[in-house]
Amino acid sequence: MSNKVKKRLIIILLSALVLIIATLLITMNLRDNIIYFYSPTELQLTNIDKKNIIRVGGLVKEDSYKYDDKTKIYSFIITDRSNEVDVSFVGIMPNLFAENKGVVVEGLAIDKANITAIKVLAKHDENYMPPEVIEALKKEGQWQEE
Amino acid sequence: MNLGNFGNILLLVCLSASLIQSLHLLPKKIDINYKIFSRIPFFFSLFAFILLIYIFVDSNFNYQLVVNNSHSEKPLIYKIAGAWGNHEGSLLLWILVLTIFNFIFSYSKIENLDFKKNVISFQSFIIFGFTLFLFFTSNPFIQSESIVNEGLGLNPVLQDLLLAIHPPILYIGYVGYSLVLSFAVGGMLSNKVDKEWAGWLHPWVLTAWIFLTLGIGLGSFWAYYELGWGGYWFWDPVENASLMPWLAGTALFHCVIILEKKNILQSWTILLSILTFSLSLIGTFLVRSGILNSVHTFASDPTRGLFILIFLAIILVISFTLYAFKGPLLDNKSEINLISKESSILANNWLLLSTLFVVFLGTLYPLGTDLFLQKSISVGPNYYILSLLPITVLLLFIMIIGPNAKWQNDKITEIIFSISKLFILSLAIIFGFSIYFIELQLTQITLLTLSLTLILVSIKNGLRIKNNYTIIKPSLGKSLAHIGFGLLILSVVANATFAQEKIFQAKVNDILILDNHKFKFKSVEQTKGKNYNSIKAIFYLMDNKTILETFKPEIRVYSNPPTVTSETSIVRKFLADIYVVMNIPENSDFVNVRIHIKPLMSFIWFSIILMTLGGVSAIVFRVRLKR
Repeated sequence: MSNKVKKRLIIILLSALVLIIATLLITMNLRDNIIYFYSPTELQLTNIDKKNIIRVGGLVKEDSYKYDDKTKIYSFIITDRSNEVDVSFVGIMPNLFAENKGVVVEGLAIDKANITAIKVLAKHDENYMPPEVIEALKKEGQWQEE
Repeated sequence: MNLGNFGNILLLVCLSASLIQSLHLLPKKIDINYKIFSRIPFFFSLFAFILLIYIFVDSNFNYQLVVNNSHSEKPLIYKIAGAWGNHEGSLLLWILVLTIFNFIFSYSKIENLDFKKNVISFQSFIIFGFTLFLFFTSNPFIQSESIVNEGLGLNPVLQDLLLAIHPPILYIGYVGYSLVLSFAVGGMLSNKVDKEWAGWLHPWVLTAWIFLTLGIGLGSFWAYYELGWGGYWFWDPVENASLMPWLAGTALFHCVIILEKKNILQSWTILLSILTFSLSLIGTFLVRSGILNSVHTFASDPTRGLFILIFLAIILVISFTLYAFKGPLLDNKSEINLISKESSILANNWLLLSTLFVVFLGTLYPLGTDLFLQKSISVGPNYYILSLLPITVLLLFIMIIGPNAKWQNDKITEIIFSISKLFILSLAIIFGFSIYFIELQLTQITLLTLSLTLILVSIKNGLRIKNNYTIIKPSLGKSLAHIGFGLLILSVVANATFAQEKIFQAKVNDILILDNHKFKFKSVEQTKGKNYNSIKAIFYLMDNKTILETFKPEIRVYSNPPTVTSETSIVRKFLADIYVVMNIPENSDFVNVRIHIKPLMSFIWFSIILMTLGGVSAIVFRVRLKR
């Protein structure tokens, strides 16, 4: 093997090694930062790691939206019409939040029916329904096409 | 004559002319007068676009598109902008830009006619594909099914002056890379990929890059003040879709520079050209198909996504087949030395592509799990921050070293010597800051020091001091763009480190305190806007008894379509923005107020302007040098 070929081989092997390590690091990092979405029913069926941030989405149940003046906690219930999750949240509720509309919250689960939200996501458009919520309602047979 | 039919005829002429021109690509050469067939689509798509604006201004509710996206009470400027604020109209704009590029290129003074015709014909083929797409799946001139007297309105969040100009600018960027792909295909067909080819391509690549940079910047600026979350970049799929072609395009034009100077890296440059436009198409596909969940809402339809995907596949198959045959023959065999300008550009090419890989994976992975595992997930911003951190450090490091290296061969010791003073100066400044003001972590010190060094080194490289005169070098553009990038990283890191945010529930006359700022809630005002009702909360920033600034965060209640939006109130100061946003919960006697202190925000926007100016001055100097 000539010197030139040897040199090239080393460079190729080294760069392949760097590439593999980098890809591994990036994918591991990706796995650590994935936020899973659950419908209330799915949340019942899953073993949740209470340390991981999750998303839960569905409809805001009628007459469930409350605000406690003393503790400054908002609370409401997310439903997929089969199961329900109680949500508590401190912060600013988005403008488009309303009962009987779709909502997605991001936060930590206390148990299978309670979640402390860090973010409440409602979208710009009044008629917009988050696709995950549509999917969740469809799974429970509760979705009606307009 | 019925306007819609007239519009359809315009589109059909555009479609057939571009099809005829693209027939030139067939193996059996047909003599086509490119001066006619490459220019017709421009005029006809322009007329079609003007016609579309006309029916929007006229509030002509015979057309489904106007019904869905406009309203007779809307201000004139948004009626006009409404023409491209939707899928169909924006696609027509996309086609118009495609034809503009082909039109201007048809006047270029390239003497190699065979090459020129091939480029024009491939560009015409792209125009043909998109016009076909427009005509059959997204026709803007479809009549309403029933008689309608009033439109549904345009999403109020999109009723914004900046958002009226943001899409056209972004599109010029995206679409500019279509001509770059045509250059690649034309170059391979005519066996003309060399120094001269790179020289012709250079201004086009830069033009696309300038507009894409500006377009992304404007989009981010809009999201900052309109969405009211206090952020300017959310790693949202729609944002990532514009970042991916930017990354590939940045790598590409650096390669074009090497090719023009050293006549090497032909096949690599071709590959990057294909990649960049493909990413522009993937970006369009992601945004338009609606398969990804985004904070930005867009009209979307899966069949449209499918068409873009098929078209992307056709373009990829054509380019890669050609590349498989011609690619390996293009390269000049030559070795690149480890310490040289070209090797540093190549290294940064790889770093840009690694960034691209991180963004691509983060954007597409949720799509994969959704399609194959029926599991909805999203990727948190920490993934991007952690993955991109080491890449950014390396990128900054090589950007400091690289421009100071000579072409072909250089000594690392000399380069390090030439930048060591500025590096030590930067380190001292950052350390001093860390000791006297706020203690910084190692990663922050590293990023801040390197970006400050990059700024200083680039300033030094852009100027030459000769007999007490300061002379601007022709490489000013490069220096400006690199200063801009350094400033971007510096201000992004500072912003992330020192930003403050607090939420208050306030009643009139309350005093709100954040850091050393004191805010007084003065009053609530109700007014009527042109097509909305407005509620404003008035806050004063106080210094003992004097009023320093007034904030008027606002809630707007639109009736068509019924929507509530929050308008932020931002006071921009040299070192930080103060950002106030509020809303009023139902049945409550207080308002919710969120106040942010955002350090160096203005510098983030200024850095993007610098990068854009860098691109512009690179083109200007180039034209002047040629004369």
